[in-house]
Amino acid sequence: MSTGKRSTVHIDGREISALEGSNLLQVARENGIDIPGLCYHKRLSPTGACRLCVTRIEGRPGLVMACTVAVREGLRVTAFDDELEEARRHTLDYLLAEHDDDYDGTWRDELRELTDRYGLTDPAARRYPNICREIGYHADESSPVLTYDAAKCIKCFRCIKACEEIQGKSVLSFSERGIASHIIAGFDRWEESECDGCGECVQLCPTGALVEKPHRATIRLDRLERKVISTCPYCGVGCQIELNVQEGRIVRVNGVEDFSPNYGRLCVKGRFGCDFVAHPARLTTPLVRRQGELVPVSWDEALTLIAERFGAIRDGHGPDALAGYASAKCTNEDNYLFQKFVRRVFGTNNLDYCTRLCHASTVTAMLRSIGDGAGTNSIEDFARTDCLFVTGNNMIETHPVTATYVKAGVRTGMKLIVCDPKWTPLVKHAHIWLQPRLGTDVALLNGMIRQIFEEDLVDRQFVDERIQGGQDALRELRLQVEAYTPEVVETITTVPADLLVEAARTYARAPTAMIATGMGMSQQVTGTNNVFALINMMLITGQIGRERCGIDPPRGQNNVQGATDVGCSPRLFPGYIPVTDEANRTRMAALWGVSGEVLPADPGLSTVEIMHAAHEGRVRGLYIMGENPMVTDPDLNHTRESLERLDFLVVQDIFETETTRYAHVVLPAASFAEKEGTFVNSDRRVLRVRKAVESPGEAREDWRILVELAERMGAPIGQYESAREIFEEIARAAPMLGGISYGRIETEGIQWPCPAADHPGTATLFLERFNTPDGRAILNPVDHVEPGERSSERFPFILNSGRLLYQYHSATMSRRNNSLNSFVNESYVLMNPLDARRQELSDGERVRLYNGRGELTTTLRASKEVAPGELFMPWHFSESPVNNLTRGELDPLSRIAPFKLSACAVERVSTHTVRGQ
Amino acid sequence: MVPTQTLRKHPPLQENLLLILHELQNGSGRNYLTEEDLQAVAEYLNITRAAVYGVATYYSMLSVKPRGRHVIRLCKSPVCDMMGAPGVTRILEELLGVAVGETTPDGVFTLEESACLGRCDSAVSMMIDGQYYGALDAPALARIIGRFRRG
Amino acid sequence: MAEAHPAETRITLRNVGSIDPEKIEDYLNAGGYRSLAKARAMPREAVIEELVAASLRGRGGAGFSAGLKERFTRQATAPPAPPAPPAPVYVVCNADEGEPGTFKDRIIMERDPHLLIEGILIAAHAIGAARAYIYIRAEYDTSIRRVRRALEQARERGFTGGNGASPGAGGAVEIEIRLGAGSYLCGEELTLLESLEGKRGYPRIKPPFPAEVGLFGAPTLVNNVETLATIPAIIDRGAAWYTGLGTPDSPGTKIFTVSGDVARPGYYEVELGTTLRELIFGFAGADKLKAVLIGGAAGTFVDASVLDTPLCYDALKEKGAVLGSGAVIVMADGRSLRRMTTSILEFFEHESCGKCVPCRVGMTLLVRMIRRKEPLEALVRESEYMAANSLCPLGQSPILPLRSLARYFPAEIDGSEG
Repeated sequence: MSTGKRSTVHIDGREISALEGSNLLQVARENGIDIPGLCYHKRLSPTGACRLCVTRIEGRPGLVMACTVAVREGLRVTAFDDELEEARRHTLDYLLAEHDDDYDGTWRDELRELTDRYGLTDPAARRYPNICREIGYHADESSPVLTYDAAKCIKCFRCIKACEEIQGKSVLSFSERGIASHIIAGFDRWEESECDGCGECVQLCPTGALVEKPHRATIRLDRLERKVISTCPYCGVGCQIELNVQEGRIVRVNGVEDFSPNYGRLCVKGRFGCDFVAHPARLTTPLVRRQGELVPVSWDEALTLIAERFGAIRDGHGPDALAGYASAKCTNEDNYLFQKFVRRVFGTNNLDYCTRLCHASTVTAMLRSIGDGAGTNSIEDFARTDCLFVTGNNMIETHPVTATYVKAGVRTGMKLIVCDPKWTPLVKHAHIWLQPRLGTDVALLNGMIRQIFEEDLVDRQFVDERIQGGQDALRELRLQVEAYTPEVVETITTVPADLLVEAARTYARAPTAMIATGMGMSQQVTGTNNVFALINMMLITGQIGRERCGIDPPRGQNNVQGATDVGCSPRLFPGYIPVTDEANRTRMAALWGVSGEVLPADPGLSTVEIMHAAHEGRVRGLYIMGENPMVTDPDLNHTRESLERLDFLVVQDIFETETTRYAHVVLPAASFAEKEGTFVNSDRRVLRVRKAVESPGEAREDWRILVELAERMGAPIGQYESAREIFEEIARAAPMLGGISYGRIETEGIQWPCPAADHPGTATLFLERFNTPDGRAILNPVDHVEPGERSSERFPFILNSGRLLYQYHSATMSRRNNSLNSFVNESYVLMNPLDARRQELSDGERVRLYNGRGELTTTLRASKEVAPGELFMPWHFSESPVNNLTRGELDPLSRIAPFKLSACAVERVSTHTVRGQ
Repeated sequence: MVPTQTLRKHPPLQENLLLILHELQNGSGRNYLTEEDLQAVAEYLNITRAAVYGVATYYSMLSVKPRGRHVIRLCKSPVCDMMGAPGVTRILEELLGVAVGETTPDGVFTLEESACLGRCDSAVSMMIDGQYYGALDAPALARIIGRFRRG
Repeated sequence: MAEAHPAETRITLRNVGSIDPEKIEDYLNAGGYRSLAKARAMPREAVIEELVAASLRGRGGAGFSAGLKERFTRQATAPPAPPAPPAPVYVVCNADEGEPGTFKDRIIMERDPHLLIEGILIAAHAIGAARAYIYIRAEYDTSIRRVRRALEQARERGFTGGNGASPGAGGAVEIEIRLGAGSYLCGEELTLLESLEGKRGYPRIKPPFPAEVGLFGAPTLVNNVETLATIPAIIDRGAAWYTGLGTPDSPGTKIFTVSGDVARPGYYEVELGTTLRELIFGFAGADKLKAVLIGGAAGTFVDASVLDTPLCYDALKEKGAVLGSGAVIVMADGRSLRRMTTSILEFFEHESCGKCVPCRVGMTLLVRMIRRKEPLEALVRESEYMAANSLCPLGQSPILPLRSLARYFPAEIDGSEG
């Protein structure tokens, strides 16, 4: 453990200054003293197994492994002399005796490198006969994504520790003992184990005992063309990935060590989910619909047609007859130009994207209470806070790398409270699991707040200094929650009273506490109120405004955060400045070289509202960039009708999707791996995206398409040579990004707000003041409202929906990876076994789910993960579209739709017997 | 005994893993741990399958492979080895008709070797299940095995 | 052989044969738990200093001062800062007796289990532990049964559990039994702690020692059964009395377990400093001696030239031998030392956990080398490398028998014999 103090150590006569308590082997290596070693890895606790980093230390008897020594003042170390080198050669010779030397060039082999260094490459130079075959090692090739070969394994524990200490999964162990010992997952069959395929073990394996399966036959290290560092295109963690390119294709992905947010960690999607880039179904030319069919045309033809048709609608029906869907998947540069395009070329604020479908309510509540909708903390804080309250957030599946921090925190004493109507894997690590009925979050949270009042756990000083209205506001809140006694709350939520009391105490008493809130909270008609209640609890306990305190809504997609940051919102310009702010509009107009009147001043329509307007004929032309509403929007039958009623629909994407079926023109775009740019992750960190491969066919970067189309529509949006130039304009448009430039984020991203070039960025928000006009936070007392949609005799079940680890969003990308599909590639519905028995349904049966809005068929899985009366379905699978059953009813404050709560009925899909028999 | 009854006798802490595995193995009458046992333990202790399996295969008294109703553990420590263990092994192998490491076809005996049983003062020694037998010679072995066969 | 040989000095075995181990009354009538009461009336530090003064050395094999271990554990324990509960600290009794040729701990547990419990309770008082574990190898069926029964009785009588409050400890001492499952290495104290936590038996990196970071990361006193069973007598009669027994560097008594080619194999508690000749000829009845293996598999071979050396730590060291666990394996003329050594190396190979390279590969290589009749010096060379480079005492063990063979029987392994 480091004390922050520096000490001087002497290694082979060299004086080296190092942090006291740091690892001696690491310090030596960082100072160019290359002590060998195979079991040590800087991200893992020392093991002392390989015995190669042997040294002598003055004052200690015998040989000492450098990896097991903590630096202290005056340490005198001998790292190299004949005796130590001989000991190392001896140890290597031993390792080679039990090792299979075969090498096919597909992995970096640290043992081979040392074998060379110590002159043992030639078997004749070795002292011991090879006994590998006699030991009878076996290989386990059953995992979909990796292989384990015990004959290549040096039993260094790195994989086991990678799985346990870094990923918090502990899926691996040794089996047997002595020379026969080998790595196992589960009961010695990898595919049946709890392994979720993140491949951390592969990344840390020093010898190729663990190697990725995909591309194994093609990849050759000596034929790699380049390694490009970029940002993962899946969830909002923003993991830094190293794309390995061979023959123009991505053949391997590694996590980038040393930098936030992931410090080398990845999940299964990040490591094994990039095959979609080279998928044969990629769009390669523009397509125009003729006689009902999409046919390939030239760019010129497609763009001319779009300019004409959008132009005609704008000129004939006014700017507000047009609308645009931006994309949480595209870069900031793409999205910035998209909003510029819609505002400048269309002349409307009818501009939104899928954030409206996930965290709009969270952001609305946060903006109104504390002034910013982004997460207040850094990802590292998830391991460092004293208490974490995770609500409606299946973090292990949706933000797997964030979850690794949480699990690490739990291991070092953090208290974890999970609140979720459905069991999630995080419950395994939780101290308290609250399982409220669907749609009762406000009651639960008000109950916790009441308990906090009851036990006088309110932070009075914080209330006085940092909350608008101070004690008066507090009294008002107290009145509002007075009725929510633990017993009353138990009847509403079914959460046992004592558990609620314990949770309230644990959160309020913790020296520091954080909240992670997810879709379970936000995707409800009461979404904004849910988050208001959450924030109320946080504010009265003073669990914000300090380091390791606050509220964080982990973002579901790679650039949900960035797309709003750069202004893809019907109400906000870049930098969260309202469209109604005239001074800003003037500033933006100047920046864009247009007159102020050109930019629309009234807030536009949001995502679902655009569909409603299309249905009613008020919106006639829609430009969709990288979104798939025919899977993601609620009440899909309504969505389909809306799209069908449009005069003109343009969809720009990397694949044909459920939505391109309704498009008049489809434009082929570049994927994340084919362009430069930036994403902003969930902790407000601006991260670089870099081009690794060429786009297929004629596919183009989104921003280039926008620039050219604007040109053709007679309203140019700028001349840009590169994404970098666009970012420079973004930095001028959004003050909070003002100090960030490509040059500053070459290796590690910067967290906004970063208003100036010499500003280091901001790890924690609101340390001094809240982003409200008077700098104080606002309490928003709310009441529990019984859900408008309830179970009935006709529709006795409440359906919840959510995501899975192995698939992503509308599955456009994830389902085009065989590796991911081999884990899960089909839809199912979870039903409590009690209900299944009552309905006389059995596990694995095909069932039909239906309600007044629509129906779907899927496979039944009986599971205690859901409470009786409730169902759960992953929504990734368009053949069983959950959103056939969801409602278009919206949260009045944020316009989010209630994906989490739909009443429906379940029946067996009748298996017809052949007639006439 | 069904696993859950055995499990519930101990608080769900990993420190109880070895106790639980012993009880499951010995209480089941099967003398080995089935995957159902291991799975139940993993769930009960909230640890992964590998954590249970790794332990079950590390310790020589635990087995994840089927064994006979009675497990013979013949001491092969240096002392017993010197005092005649190899001969005793041969006699046992002949009596049972199986080699060390094997189970008799009728499923009654599994013959194993063990590290020092701490009965060096009555070498050669062995255990059958929980019971010790010392000063083994051919007549003693025939008697003991016969008794188990009849019982 | 419950009867003591007239020349024995029985302290830890004093009740063996004279009491019913299943009856606590017998133990109480023999003066049992008197030392516990006396210790609990003493300040912790005084108990610890008494043991330091007695120079009691660990009887499991390593021979480290038991008193100092307690002192270090006590020092590593954070002083309680009210109202926080005191930080945990544990006593762990190492009853994983697996050293070949050794069965002294089994005798104590089978014949006088309360003596062990009393010793544990005194140690727990000394270091302020509220919880103790006895880790017994599962092969010791009778020991487990007897200790379990004794613990029930001790609880009924209030020596453990709720009524056993020791002053200042903040409450009772709970003692629990945990079982091994067939691993010699788990007798190594850090490995034992891993096993106690329900894990595979892998040794931990040392330092830190268990006195600082032990069971569940807390300061932990790990002592062998015989060591703990000696404590009540020292508290009862004082350090001065105890140091009056044995030799200056090795005070007190030690139980030796004698096996092999002797007329009366068994256990003998004698003062340290007794000669090997007295022990194996006088007590056990050896004849036509070829070699003695002292200390078990991780022990040393000696020949008749050592017969008159006193059995104590320093004198044996001068002869290139170790006292170890007190196992004494006697080999008469005609016995094959190659065969014995092969058996020892096979045992080590079987017990190597596989964590560190020198031991994992080295044990297998040594077995192959001795089977191939490679020269003894080649085996010694490997064992020297292993001793210097291995992670834990197991890899450092083969050098003991091999080097002593080279010293006393240089021709045995290389010859055609065996």
